[in-house]
Amino acid sequence: MMQGQKSIFSLPGKSVFLVAGILLILAIFPAFHLSGYTLRLMSMIFMWIALASCWNVMSGYTGYIDFGPVVYFGIGAYSTALLMSRGGMPFFLSIVISGVVAVLFAIPVGLPTLRLRGAYFAIATFAFAEAMKQVALEWDRVVGVHFLEGSHGITLPIGPSHQFFYYTFLVIMTVLFLTSYLIERSRMGYALKAIHEAEDAAELSGVNTLKIKVSAYAISAFFTGIIGGVDAYWLTYITPNDVFSIHITIQMVIMCLLGGMGTLLGPVVGASFLTLVSEPLWAKFPYDYLIIIGVIIVVVIVAMPRGIVGTLMERKRRGGGT
Amino acid sequence: MEPNKRAILEGRSITKHFGALAALRGIDFSLYEGEILGLIGPNGSGKTTLFNVITGIYPPTKGSVFFEQRNISGLKPHKICQMGIAKTSQIVQPFTRMTVAENVLVGAMYGGRISQREAWEKTYEVLEFVHLDKLMNVSSGNISVPDRRRLELARALATSAKVILLDENMAGLTPNEIEEALNLLRVIRDQGITLMVVEHIMRAVMGISDRMIVFDYGEKIAEGTPGEIAENPRVIEAYLGEKYA
Repeated sequence: MMQGQKSIFSLPGKSVFLVAGILLILAIFPAFHLSGYTLRLMSMIFMWIALASCWNVMSGYTGYIDFGPVVYFGIGAYSTALLMSRGGMPFFLSIVISGVVAVLFAIPVGLPTLRLRGAYFAIATFAFAEAMKQVALEWDRVVGVHFLEGSHGITLPIGPSHQFFYYTFLVIMTVLFLTSYLIERSRMGYALKAIHEAEDAAELSGVNTLKIKVSAYAISAFFTGIIGGVDAYWLTYITPNDVFSIHITIQMVIMCLLGGMGTLLGPVVGASFLTLVSEPLWAKFPYDYLIIIGVIIVVVIVAMPRGIVGTLMERKRRGGGT
Repeated sequence: MEPNKRAILEGRSITKHFGALAALRGIDFSLYEGEILGLIGPNGSGKTTLFNVITGIYPPTKGSVFFEQRNISGLKPHKICQMGIAKTSQIVQPFTRMTVAENVLVGAMYGGRISQREAWEKTYEVLEFVHLDKLMNVSSGNISVPDRRRLELARALATSAKVILLDENMAGLTPNEIEEALNLLRVIRDQGITLMVVEHIMRAVMGISDRMIVFDYGEKIAEGTPGEIAENPRVIEAYLGEKYA
């Protein structure tokens, strides 16, 4: 038929089988009695793929650099911690509510900040994340209650086995991958990319740019909040400095940049690559591994300025002609 | 054009200030259904500003714009586009990392408020119409200037606009390409789309317009058929200076 059209179901059959096959292998993986370390490492990779994908949905596609996504991770972690330890709620209900709470913060934050362009949006989101960390730290002292427990942190009920988290993160990662895939092929995906390329032209072509940006920001916040909740249960003990840490933001951004912003596979490749490279380096060079990782990141970005996946796709496009 | 025809777009004493600068001063205009209205004037006379006020990029400081008898001043650009007014920009802004077809698709889906499936149909139709169908899978960053201008037009057409504002859509084209572009505009008009054209190439705009409006320093100084405009002393003065008038 017409060649330009990419419908939701037009992903080549081969890729569908490949993705399904990989997920199936991952699903039966724990049956092989792997060490706790391997399961934990795999769960970590799933979590970072999911987090990098969250960032990609908003910043990757629109080019609006969110420099405070950790705020929704922290909000999700605290919501789950409070719901489970204070409210006695079950885990799955708690993480879904945590995602909703994150959205309730994201919409009023997104509406004014997403009118800002370029570096101003990055600064605003960064400031919001830092401010929320301070709120979590100082709330009890200022208000005079015992609620968020400040820097003492909150302890959650003891969680189940590593396998439980392995599967939870595997499911979340899969859901995010599918969500990104559907967004990319949907009306919304085209609008997000149009905003990235020429926002004024998009608005003049009938795209309600503010609404689309806020929607993407809210979707991103929803999943980030859920992941924050799962991680809190996994860690069983959270403090503001841990779950609102700027390092989580930086990891999300770097993984996405390394893999390729605005590509479906970019966060998957970036997060896997960075985690798999840093683990053995950390084990061998516990004091210098960050320097080595820094060098690796610089080399990859210089050689592949659009990220691993982004640059490969571009080369294929150029090589394959029109 | 006979004044008893229905005005599809109307401006009533539109004034636009940027700080102390009055870019538009009390502009009244009517665009009649089915006509091609040429808008000319020296650089900085307010032509592009008027387009930006009509499409909602700037709200007018005073006055209002009526589209099909509805006051549209103050509405957001996407809303105005969905109602049926599209614009091509002087500086072409394709979505460069998307293909030619995807560029048009965005206009069809969002401006035309139709489903993705219907929008693809519309896209193929429009691309064929403007003769860009052969380039539809090429990245829009890799096409020539004339093709980019046609892409701008295609994106506007895809929104199913009733009125299209063309801001120097022929700048940078060769005489042959201009002739082609003019023919295309006539065909578009014959399909019932009303056009308002800002153009510096006088021969082009004179040849195609049913009526013309002339701006100078943010004011409307003349209005009439191309023949009347060419002989109007105020227009000659504005363009060539006092001693030629």
